[in-house]
Amino acid sequence: MTRKFFFFSEMGYNAYPDDILERYGFTALLLPNSLFDREKASQLWRMFLREHEYASEMGFDGSVCNEHHNNILSMQESVNISAAVVSQHVKGTIALIGNPLPIHDNPVRVAEEIAMLDLISGGRIISGFVRGTGIEQLSTNANPAYNRERFEEAFALIKKTWTQPGPFRWEGKHYHLRVVNPWQLPLQKPHPPIWAAGILSPETIRWAAKERITYLVLGSALDATAQCREIYHEVARQDGWMPASEHLGYLIHTCVLDTDEEAFEMGRHHYGGASVIGRSGGVAASALTAGTGSAGVTGGPHPEWMAPPGYMSKQAKTGAMARERRASEGSYEEAVRAGLIVTGSPKTIIQKFKHIIDRTDPGYLTFWAREGKKPHQATMRGIELLGKEVIPALREHQSALVTGKEVTPWPQ
Amino acid sequence: MNDVTPQLIEAAGITVELRRAGQGAPLLVIHGEFGVPGWLEAFARLAEHHDVIVPSLPGYGQSTRPDWIMSVHDLAAWVTWFARDLDLQRPVNVIGSSLGGWVAAEIATVAPQFFNKLVLVGAMGLKPEKGEIFDYFLDSGLAGLRRAFHRPDQSAAFMRYWGRKWAPELADVVEQHREMTCRIAWKPYMHSLTLRHLLPGVRTPTLVVWGGNDAITPLNSGEIYARAIPGASLATIADCGHMPEMEKPTDFVERVRDFLQA
Repeated sequence: MTRKFFFFSEMGYNAYPDDILERYGFTALLLPNSLFDREKASQLWRMFLREHEYASEMGFDGSVCNEHHNNILSMQESVNISAAVVSQHVKGTIALIGNPLPIHDNPVRVAEEIAMLDLISGGRIISGFVRGTGIEQLSTNANPAYNRERFEEAFALIKKTWTQPGPFRWEGKHYHLRVVNPWQLPLQKPHPPIWAAGILSPETIRWAAKERITYLVLGSALDATAQCREIYHEVARQDGWMPASEHLGYLIHTCVLDTDEEAFEMGRHHYGGASVIGRSGGVAASALTAGTGSAGVTGGPHPEWMAPPGYMSKQAKTGAMARERRASEGSYEEAVRAGLIVTGSPKTIIQKFKHIIDRTDPGYLTFWAREGKKPHQATMRGIELLGKEVIPALREHQSALVTGKEVTPWPQ
Repeated sequence: MNDVTPQLIEAAGITVELRRAGQGAPLLVIHGEFGVPGWLEAFARLAEHHDVIVPSLPGYGQSTRPDWIMSVHDLAAWVTWFARDLDLQRPVNVIGSSLGGWVAAEIATVAPQFFNKLVLVGAMGLKPEKGEIFDYFLDSGLAGLRRAFHRPDQSAAFMRYWGRKWAPELADVVEQHREMTCRIAWKPYMHSLTLRHLLPGVRTPTLVVWGGNDAITPLNSGEIYARAIPGASLATIADCGHMPEMEKPTDFVERVRDFLQA
């Protein structure tokens, strides 16, 4: 498969006050929605859609949508609605990072909506499934202790819905349906490609490898992502098959501008932005620390929300990949050094991404190229440079994992 | 205070961690959401006149966790099985604390022959008319524990079991208990929609004990229990949080003894 290059934006609400963290201590779940400015949000939607459209015009192979709840990180409370709208603004693939399956009481509804999306978009959908963050379990009242069981059962049910003729009955542990027989089925046969996405949860990586579906690494540092690939390949080896590039996706914070200096400075939005303080950075890091249980766990911005009881295994909280992740999140400079955020001029960033491709060979490379309060103009320039210069240069590049050649060095 | 070493026994389909000591009629203790941190002072005092039996419920302490236990109702049924396997002389006196109080109340509604006398302590299980049950799952294990005591730093039990810097093993146990509680009491959170309607049918003499400063389960829940169960009385203990058996063991044991001897 030829490597695909996608554009991603959480489409997060960014009209929050700059001192939001100092004032409230957190940016999700209990953050009062009286802070929400409806007019501003409506404008943001138009801006976000224009950015997707522009990425498509500049030559990206597709756009990626996502879902979060009760969180300024993302204004996409329904990934299926986002995807439906974005599909009318871009020409290529529409990949859904994920429908958070455990929060749904009727997974067949998800299967129906994805079928609709695939039919409406002319078969351009990649259907990702996720467990949802800890916050989503709390905000939708989905029992975190059964999160993984529900995820796996819902997945099995959806897959059966797409691969076996209805009607059939489903009497499982968490889902019970008298009649499964949705009228609409996806255009792609038997179903759209499936992703499972995660933030370095070893169980999910192993599960994805067992299911032989793509594992999408969400915004994680390079070393940890290379380890994900190792785990996936190890499981596949044991099962007697060889994964291809398309079995790994990599979503990575990217800030490209005309010069290295400009890009580095602008890249701070990817660190201080909503995603870091609201989800993937500060809070998660504290949650992981809390998991080890020192008596001082109540410090920090409500770490429990990211890891409610039973949601995360001890291994996922304290394992080697989690430790690496924490280490890489200490400061913006650390995050850049670890490859959690990739910045640079086109020339620099091309070399960085060649290095990344050499070490991980992702079939889907998704640039997380809009974040937080990064200005629209800078985002558009970044999209332009990615589309016109970076992606064309990377299309030709074969991974050293495939060619056996030397790994492209990281630029100094 | 002498500690009582827990034994692991096979009962009611699982391996059960059991602490048991004392002489006299059996007194079964059904613990709350924090599990059994050790042989409490209250247990030791009660053991002077009773055979005090304190199992760790499935999924708590070293008791194994069967996947089929997904509700407090399941747990209540399990407790009755456990008592049969232990050959307890029935009817038995029972203390149920917090989550364990809810378990005990469920049993009382369906198996009145099981209990002689029932003590409910800061019991979960009912939706209060005033206030809300504190949501442990929106905060850390330590925050919940501290809130369960009126003055944690002045409580010998709190300081003994949770007051020092936590070793990883202790943090794991706290998290294990939170997870098990989550499995059975997530939604509706810590209460049943049917229990209240069944309480008027209870025929077991019942004492409801509540900490006057309970910041976990509103005192109003205790009032509802006392009102709904025929003949029940409510005793509040001053300067005390959610767990009188730990924070005010002397007052607590006095109330319980008086009630059981009456």
